[in-house]
Amino acid sequence: MSDVKKRTFVVTRFDPDRDQVPKTQSYEVPCRPDWKVLDALNFIKDEIDATLSHRWSCRMAVCGSCGMNVNGEPKLTCKTSLEDYGDTVEVAPLSNFPIIRDLVIDMDGFMEKFRAVKPWIIAAKQRAVEEGTYRQSPEQLAAFKQFSMCINCMLCYAACPVVSQEPEFLGPAAIALGHRYNMDSRDEGQPERNAVFRGEGTVFNCSYANECSEVCPKNVDPAAAINQAKLNAVIDWATSFVVRREK
Amino acid sequence: MARPANPHAMAPSRPGPTRTAPPQVPDDFWTRPRMRTYLLFDATGVVYLCVGLVALRVAWALAAGPDAWQALMTSFSHPLYVAFHALALAAALFVGVRFFRLFPKAQPARIGPAKPPPRPVLQAMLYAAWGAITLGLLVVLGGIWPS
Repeated sequence: MSDVKKRTFVVTRFDPDRDQVPKTQSYEVPCRPDWKVLDALNFIKDEIDATLSHRWSCRMAVCGSCGMNVNGEPKLTCKTSLEDYGDTVEVAPLSNFPIIRDLVIDMDGFMEKFRAVKPWIIAAKQRAVEEGTYRQSPEQLAAFKQFSMCINCMLCYAACPVVSQEPEFLGPAAIALGHRYNMDSRDEGQPERNAVFRGEGTVFNCSYANECSEVCPKNVDPAAAINQAKLNAVIDWATSFVVRREK
Repeated sequence: MARPANPHAMAPSRPGPTRTAPPQVPDDFWTRPRMRTYLLFDATGVVYLCVGLVALRVAWALAAGPDAWQALMTSFSHPLYVAFHALALAAALFVGVRFFRLFPKAQPARIGPAKPPPRPVLQAMLYAAWGAITLGLLVVLGGIWPS
């Protein structure tokens, strides 16, 4: 086929049984014009080198599995068209994460940060079934909907300059998720989460570089969530002096 | 290519069963255009520190008497001082524009019963307030009002 173009992929490789540090390996791939970076990685895996390891699933920017650094920029590889790149494309695992194998990162630290913000509805009293469903107006939904669109792809953690310098920082996606629940009209856990947000390594460690929002593939805008959470945490702290809360 | 990042970044509190390689970052992480703009923004803090020192010098000259004040005013016409003040103005404009671009989205959807105006309106209000305060200062410091 005449429209096939050969590109060189420089891919990070790491075998925990053999390598001390990651290295790179180059592959010549005949790419079709409509290919995404993930198509090329799958071609390498299927046709050239079956030992290459990478995560992927839905192929339509929904599952958040295929986040990698493409030419140094965190990207969802299923959404990143090769048309935007030259003859050589570098693919590496996401920055700031331990590497399990090749392009596969260790997500355990990320999941721990998620748990810290209590990402579930906290209600003082569970509603009885006969009382009906929890109802929300479109306006109440709009207050948090944007922040609920996160697909946990972790690109924001790879882009954030604070994550790379301060390992205790909760990071963009976790704080955005905590803020999402704080803004949910059904939730009563704001004092608990705001106490977390006022602690070490949370919202006030963010220097508003805005990198997380720049790379977010779903326009969640975690930087907005973090900075809204800063204000809410301060208001909550000030309110606690004048409004008595039940323990 | 890549270089080692902070070895503890995003590491789980307890290591998993598989040996992992330490995190990496691209070699040119700090020199990419967006990151360079951010670093420039951070570096303006040094300019503000210097402006603070100059303000202290102004206060000292004010307390020391007319001769000290006149000497200070004369020194401000030195090309180095003029260049410094131009740099301070550039830094203030740069930070102002960045702040006004990012500030509206940091507003919560609602604070109690109050709802902030749409982002473009909020941004326009910020620029209008900035312009009004600057004009007011120019009028007062320029001696136009009160005459």
